[in-house]
Amino acid sequence: MTNKKKLWSIFGPVIVAGVLTLVLFALPWGNHHSQEVEQKAAVSLSATVFKNRSLKAQALGSKKENYIPFFGSSELNRMDRYHPSVMAERYHNYKPFLFGSRGTQSLPQLFNMAMIPQQMHNKKAVYIISPQWFVRQGVMVNAFKYYNGSYANLMWLAQANPKSPYDRYTARRLIKLLGDDGTVTQDAAKIAAGKPLTGWDRFNINMRIKFLSHEDDLFSGLFLNDNYGKRIKPKVHLLPQQLNYADLSATAIKEHNYNSNNNRFGILNGFYNSTVKPDLRKTRNSQRHFNYTKSPEYGDLEVVLNQFKKTNSNVIFMITPVNARWEKYTGMSMPMYYRTVDKIKMQLRSQGFNHIVDYSHKGGQNGFMQDTIHIGWAGWVDFDRKVSPFIEKKQPQPHYHMNKAFLSKEWQDLDPTADNLNQFKVDHNLR
Amino acid sequence: MMNWFANLPNFSAYGTPVYFIYLLIAILPLGIGIYFGKRLSWYEALVSFVFIFFMFDGQDWQQAISLIVYIIYQTCLVMWYVHYRQQNNNSLVFYCTTFLSLLPIIIVKFTPAMVGHNSLLGFLGISYLTFRAAGTIIETRDGAVKDINWWKFIRFMAFMPTITSGPIDRYRRFSKDYRKVPSREKYLKMLEKAVMYLFIGFIYKFIIDYFFAQQWLPYVEQQAMSHAPHLSWWVVAVAYVYSGDLYFDFAGYSLFAVAISYIMGVETPMNFNKPFLSKNIKEFWNRWHMTLSFWFRDYIFMRFVFMATKKHWFKNRNVLSSLAYMINMVVMGFWHGVTWYYILYGFLHGAALCTNDWWLRYKRKHFKNLKSTKLTKFIAGFITFNFVVFSFLIFCGFLNTLWFNPSAMK
Repeated sequence: MTNKKKLWSIFGPVIVAGVLTLVLFALPWGNHHSQEVEQKAAVSLSATVFKNRSLKAQALGSKKENYIPFFGSSELNRMDRYHPSVMAERYHNYKPFLFGSRGTQSLPQLFNMAMIPQQMHNKKAVYIISPQWFVRQGVMVNAFKYYNGSYANLMWLAQANPKSPYDRYTARRLIKLLGDDGTVTQDAAKIAAGKPLTGWDRFNINMRIKFLSHEDDLFSGLFLNDNYGKRIKPKVHLLPQQLNYADLSATAIKEHNYNSNNNRFGILNGFYNSTVKPDLRKTRNSQRHFNYTKSPEYGDLEVVLNQFKKTNSNVIFMITPVNARWEKYTGMSMPMYYRTVDKIKMQLRSQGFNHIVDYSHKGGQNGFMQDTIHIGWAGWVDFDRKVSPFIEKKQPQPHYHMNKAFLSKEWQDLDPTADNLNQFKVDHNLR
Repeated sequence: MMNWFANLPNFSAYGTPVYFIYLLIAILPLGIGIYFGKRLSWYEALVSFVFIFFMFDGQDWQQAISLIVYIIYQTCLVMWYVHYRQQNNNSLVFYCTTFLSLLPIIIVKFTPAMVGHNSLLGFLGISYLTFRAAGTIIETRDGAVKDINWWKFIRFMAFMPTITSGPIDRYRRFSKDYRKVPSREKYLKMLEKAVMYLFIGFIYKFIIDYFFAQQWLPYVEQQAMSHAPHLSWWVVAVAYVYSGDLYFDFAGYSLFAVAISYIMGVETPMNFNKPFLSKNIKEFWNRWHMTLSFWFRDYIFMRFVFMATKKHWFKNRNVLSSLAYMINMVVMGFWHGVTWYYILYGFLHGAALCTNDWWLRYKRKHFKNLKSTKLTKFIAGFITFNFVVFSFLIFCGFLNTLWFNPSAMK
């Protein structure tokens, strides 16, 4: 062999492989997912679905299937037979597309939504708010990074407007949470400073979006976990054919009592044994200092609300309860919890987000909670009773009127006493 | 100035697939040079400097200063000793010089155990540079190193592909490669190997180790921690998963370092040779982290055995070799760090080497007719593998967290 041939035999395969890889990602391979895959994706709760686009865009954009986005966090993983996905399959004409796991608070949800504005336009949505999100430091860096990806960031950057205070706020938060992350944070810094992106920046962003979208089309549908087959479908036939909320609620309470009989808190037995019992002694009074009243999370919620306004989504909000017996044991202050909820509700109501299901006082009701902070059983039954009519029946056009005072540090740090809230309303001409 | 330096992006060696694109483009001219029979020394120095710079800038800028001071210190020491050795050969001077060469690493390794925080002298790769420097002093004493000057020595110490985690080369071998340019035929063979090693490394480090390190290890550790401070079967899972992670991470890294060295025309020695197929613990140390274990074999084990034999310290050869094993492995334990688990790890491996020798003697005496079959080989391999996995469980420090510091993981 001549040396030239040898060189080719060494590097030829590498070059060919490199070119093939480029071709694989540069070509659009078609992005259609089968109905089965979409069904799995809708309840998989996986970070892959959350961080990518093609699965959710196809489902929510579909004219044939009536998928409704349910944005939330860990409560969506409480899949008993009264879970909204099971209930919808048995009784309703829509399918929940679930977005949420532990840590998907408002800001991760914003980037999730920024990938599907066309699909959400003029549609309905469900948004579940946990007061536990509103801790002093806001969303944890690790949780944010886990549910955030460059695909969503780049798509957000492509739409970001440096003149909008909402986008400048988001850019600042992104930089704070990501630290140094190359192109994304450099471009975000420009938005945060109110400067437009250059033509080169946009070219670069669109190039990368193109490659990522092809990768997404090719791989996102693979390796989805099978929550649908394992945890949703087998439960559908356990529900009676005729929908009667009073009957369902009665059986749910009975079932709850049967399944949570090894502890005094009404927590699911398995959860109690694995998570609560080992540290039970240490937890007594351990939550006395918990405080959700001041948090950057209020600002993060505001940019989500602004996104709903942009897409003109008609949204119903649910505010989650906490297990009353459990909180009494751990010493968390319930007045603090209620004031937090007042603050959240004022932020929603005064800007025209009027569909609110407030469960914050329901944490002591028999059968309502599945564990310490997540609803289940009778809680899910009641949730369905409130939410499904909103989705199934025609609703009047929403009228949102945003007020950027809710982005301010003043609002984030406001102690929500009744007086303070009223004063804030007066100061900023809120309704 | 320091502020600017601390804000620069940091690129740890071989950290991401993209790193290889930058690195390969940067060293492409070197490869072309060698293909045409010429080493582009200045360009090589420049590329090495830039890449080392980005390994130690950003948050790690204090390490960069430590690295520079350390290399200057070792260079002065070695140059002085080379100069001294041309006329004299006093043992005491040799021991003192070696001790001074080891002094920084001794300080760095003992500081956390004494003061509770890491020493400011430390930087990523100090252990590996110490082996190179101390090895050069020993080779100088043996008369094996003569042709050396400060520039050649620094080039050897700061050889970019291997600076942070080895493999550990020897000056004598390295300088031989460096003095000449490999023939075109030989260089093509090296390139062929380099490409293969790079791709095996990719599979190890970016694919297989992704599952061990990112998917499985956090899960089994969390499960095991949920029983803390008690043991559970999950601890066994931690042992196996950690062993897989350690091997694929380190072997992948070593393959990268060797491959990049080859492209730069230097045949850095291999570090791993299918270690988990070893039939006994001695064979394991001939296949696992080879450059480290050979360094210890040559400069600690052999030296001790020679000296003890010459001075007739022991009558019984078996006692001598057992003691040499123990010293060798316990020192290696200390080298990893002054914690109970590293030292116990060294101690266990020393004991295992002694047990292995004892068993071979016992077998020769009592089971003369025992034939080596597939079954015996399998049993031997099985025992060796599981012993190693057990020792890695000690080594990884998980038990320390589980028993004494459970809050560190939650």
